[in-house]
Amino acid sequence: MHIPDNFIPLGQAAVYWIIALVFIALSLRWARAEMQEEKVPLVAVLAAGIFAIQAVNIPIPWGTSGHMMGAALAAIVLGSPFAAVFVLTLVLIVQGVLFGDGGITVLGANIINMGVIGGFIGYYGYRGLKRVFGNPYPVAFVAAWLSMFVGALACAVEMALAGTFPLGLGLVSMGLYHAVIGVIEGAITAMALYLIVTARPDILSRESGVTAG
Amino acid sequence: MTRDRTIAVGAIVAIAIAVAAPFIASSNPDGLESAFFGIFGAKDIHGSELDEAAAAAAEEQVKDITGNAFEFAAPFPDYSIGGLSKTGEVLAIVAGTVLVLVAALGLGKAFSRTE
Repeated sequence: MHIPDNFIPLGQAAVYWIIALVFIALSLRWARAEMQEEKVPLVAVLAAGIFAIQAVNIPIPWGTSGHMMGAALAAIVLGSPFAAVFVLTLVLIVQGVLFGDGGITVLGANIINMGVIGGFIGYYGYRGLKRVFGNPYPVAFVAAWLSMFVGALACAVEMALAGTFPLGLGLVSMGLYHAVIGVIEGAITAMALYLIVTARPDILSRESGVTAG
Repeated sequence: MTRDRTIAVGAIVAIAIAVAAPFIASSNPDGLESAFFGIFGAKDIHGSELDEAAAAAAEEQVKDITGNAFEFAAPFPDYSIGGLSKTGEVLAIVAGTVLVLVAALGLGKAFSRTE
């Protein structure tokens, strides 16, 4: 879902940058207020793992592939959507600047789609569904799937505003592909959450609701 | 497991994924690229055949549509290191993973809550 340069007019790209910068500032404020120093290695390992897993494109039908985004996982494990913004912003900067994966002028849009939307849908989807259904793993699967799907639809709307995609066809094709890619997101998120909880139940933030029951 | 050990295991898992990535990753276009090629007639939305010439033309066409012709030459485009094929990709992704780890540690230390 990494938007390349050229897909969005510079004026619109600047607007996305400004919105992204607001969320980056809020994520730094979250870090100052909530991220204890002892949590930093966990944040760093999650960021590194998300960078690595994002390099693994898994084939889906229709000659297409997709990879995990990781925002829902970061938000759930670290107990805040702003944690996802913090982690995904760093990952996206390294991907764009060093590896040309995602554009520079459009980096703000990529931070919004993957870090902000992915993090907020993943986190609040998880919290909301957890209250109703209890079992954290299927709930994490669904929240992560939603984070991918909604992020992709937002991307389609941005493409329509840019004049790059017609709205209807953009929503249908982005929705179709990412409904399938979301299954990858959901499965890896649920599995990683299970492994983390099994290895270190105490490592999770209480807000994630896994340890707090 | 102790905290240090958990972090070490996590870092090793991340690097293992990075090493494996070039060998297991699909080179098919991703969801956004595939939608783009489909909409620009280089590929059927439900098909798997990509018309390379039409795909290249679409990438030029989109610059006229958006007026954004910005080009950025990333030092290691598509996780490649000039001259080295698979080895280069492994090195690039491992280096990226380690860089993200170190940068996150540094930023985390700088911005974390201090008691």
